[in-house]
Amino acid sequence: MIRKHTRRAAKAAFAISLGVAIILGGAAAAVAGSSKQTATPIIVGTKNFGEAFVLGELYKQALEAKGFDVSYKENIGSTELIQKALTSGKITLYPEYLGIAYTVTFKKTKFPASANATYATVKRLYKGKGYTVLRMTPFQDVDAVAVLRTTAKKYGLKKVADLKKVPDLTLAAFPEFRTRETGLVGMKKRYGVTGVKFTPLAGISAYKLLDDKKVLAAGVFSTDPPLATSKYVVLKDPKNIFGFQNVVPIVSNKLVSEYGSKLTSTLNAVSSKLTLKAMLAMNTAVNVDQKPAKQIADAFLKANGLK
Amino acid sequence: MTGILAASGPVIPDFGEASSCVQDNRLFCPDWVRDNWGPVLQPALLQHVKLVVIAVAIGFVLAFAAALVARRSTWFERPFDLFSALVYTIPSLALFQLLVPITGLTVTTVEVALVSYTLLILFRNILTGFRSVPADVLEAARGMGMGSFQVLRRVELPLALPAIMAGVRVATISTIALATVAAFVIPEGLGRPIFLALRQFFNTELIITAILAVALALVADGLLVLAQRALTPWTRIKAGS
Amino acid sequence: MIADLSVFGDALRFIQENPGLLWDKTVEQIQLSAAAVGVGLLIALPIGIGLGHLRRYSFVAISVANIGRALPTLAVIAVGIVFLPVGFTVVLIALVVLAVPPILTNAYVGVSEIDAETIEAARGMGMTERQILQRVELPLASPLLFAGIRTAVVFVVASATIAAIAGGGGLGDVIVNQASYGIEGVIGASILVCALAFACDGLVAIVQRLVTPKPLRGRHVDDATLVSEPL
Repeated sequence: MIRKHTRRAAKAAFAISLGVAIILGGAAAAVAGSSKQTATPIIVGTKNFGEAFVLGELYKQALEAKGFDVSYKENIGSTELIQKALTSGKITLYPEYLGIAYTVTFKKTKFPASANATYATVKRLYKGKGYTVLRMTPFQDVDAVAVLRTTAKKYGLKKVADLKKVPDLTLAAFPEFRTRETGLVGMKKRYGVTGVKFTPLAGISAYKLLDDKKVLAAGVFSTDPPLATSKYVVLKDPKNIFGFQNVVPIVSNKLVSEYGSKLTSTLNAVSSKLTLKAMLAMNTAVNVDQKPAKQIADAFLKANGLK
Repeated sequence: MTGILAASGPVIPDFGEASSCVQDNRLFCPDWVRDNWGPVLQPALLQHVKLVVIAVAIGFVLAFAAALVARRSTWFERPFDLFSALVYTIPSLALFQLLVPITGLTVTTVEVALVSYTLLILFRNILTGFRSVPADVLEAARGMGMGSFQVLRRVELPLALPAIMAGVRVATISTIALATVAAFVIPEGLGRPIFLALRQFFNTELIITAILAVALALVADGLLVLAQRALTPWTRIKAGS
Repeated sequence: MIADLSVFGDALRFIQENPGLLWDKTVEQIQLSAAAVGVGLLIALPIGIGLGHLRRYSFVAISVANIGRALPTLAVIAVGIVFLPVGFTVVLIALVVLAVPPILTNAYVGVSEIDAETIEAARGMGMTERQILQRVELPLASPLLFAGIRTAVVFVVASATIAAIAGGGGLGDVIVNQASYGIEGVIGASILVCALAFACDGLVAIVQRLVTPKPLRGRHVDDATLVSEPL
């Protein structure tokens, strides 16, 4: 029949196996932990929209193709959040827009006269914080004002200042556009465009409002897929009130000193291929055709001998 | 626009245009689902299953242990019940965010929250199951010379099984629903494609991920019902006789 | 880890420094939740009580309970966004969809499980169907009815938090907008939404106590969608 000490034996067996499991688990964790102490890990981070995902995948896969071990933290969030991740060491590399670094991270208000001057300043400021800014991309994803081609013809609009000619000007953009120097405020100050009836966007695409003729102009971004078609005209900004927004990889100095030119030249090689046309095509693929960013980056790198 | 141009422009490969269905964002595009099942949907589904299985398993172990204690020490039941009911009332998003400073943006945070939500249901059901065992049956078993462990294994557990399985079913379904919120903290589970789709207002992805989440719950429920029938065959004989 | 816990201190300071914002958001959430529960009651109570009274179509109650449990808030919102724009309406509809199952199921079970003999006795006394409903079934079913309403209220408040991503407003708006309010805002709003959920739960419990007939008070009744035996 059932013997009493069987129960005690069962309890003892359980306790022992639990103890062994804990010890083994602790040992494994210790071993895993210690082996990571030598090299600075390459952790690529990205912001939270389609173009950011594509950029992240491009740099990540290019590095992996050269034999680097890369961790990936996609979709971290806005500039503030990803900056915090960088400074706290949670990531060690991420692609940033020049102008955003200039105005948001370093809180400067007036843009220099050229992209190169902006680049030089941002590079210097980041150097002071312990980060290297690599070469910038040919394309920039900058705020812009777009109108329907038919509207441009009707009022003779070529540059932003021409908007003064439009009576009852209606403009739609994301809410912050209204109060920014790189928005309506700058347009008024530097080009004298006033009396704008502003519609803040919340979920509806600005291009839809343009198509439905609900507004005459829209605050958009220069790499939006619809701009690849000939339906819309982007008004020129000769005074560069919208700033400069080429992309630069921000890299922790530790990575640069450890991996040297192999790392930096790989990243620069990718950046040099990113023209406006290329970016428009990739954004169309990720935002309109709903292709995964991973696939898009893979195809682009392979086609250009970077993978 | 500005600056540096490479000696020759880049080669822009054909990324493959999506069907007009996708480009126009029509209601539902089966071709997108087919193309993206492997890279997007299946991984999310499998991650989701993993999160839920771990949560329910750990929750079950904890709730079972708590129920065993509550059986012996009557003072234990009320506090534990209150505690788990309290946690159950906390909105899931809030609980996740409150845990982040403590356990970070990790799977641990997600699992701690999900496990906590299962405790109430599992504890109550397991305890009710034990209590539903008739006292005279217990007496008979003890009279036969069975030790406590034997009584538990051969008498109480089988009789408590219907209630326990009911609890596991409810806990599993609730956890499947709650695990979608995990995507706020870690990029895993079905919540992730839902978020990405919400950003783009991409109809097909919104619909298929919603369907997958609900379908997963219904399939899990069905499997657990089958498991229950397999474990307690005598409850079916009752209907026949 | 000690450094991490300081965010809770920052969160409390955030609450102190932003009373207006947080109060407005709380009121927003209460309004949204109340509307959703109200509409949910209007839809679910008549159906649940009616079917329960007739003791017919129990499969409806069971199916509704099962489906209701299986609906993640995010999934309901996702489908809603396909058909409606971001904003109050789509969130309200989603929350109503989530509120109906616990109310309906508990109403059905509460009414239909009343002892048949009691109903027979009432009929024998000459009561009309309407009187039976009003004077016998509803009072006897009220513990379960309120268990269902309590579950629905807590569930709606919690879901409204997540629904902020679809323009629902409320404290969830702060929690999902870390970029605007910082981690201290997120934690602060999370603490407040917990308090809100507890308060709403307590409030319904008090109402339940007041409305339940004296002889039935003090009995702890489980929500029928969480009962031990599978429905």
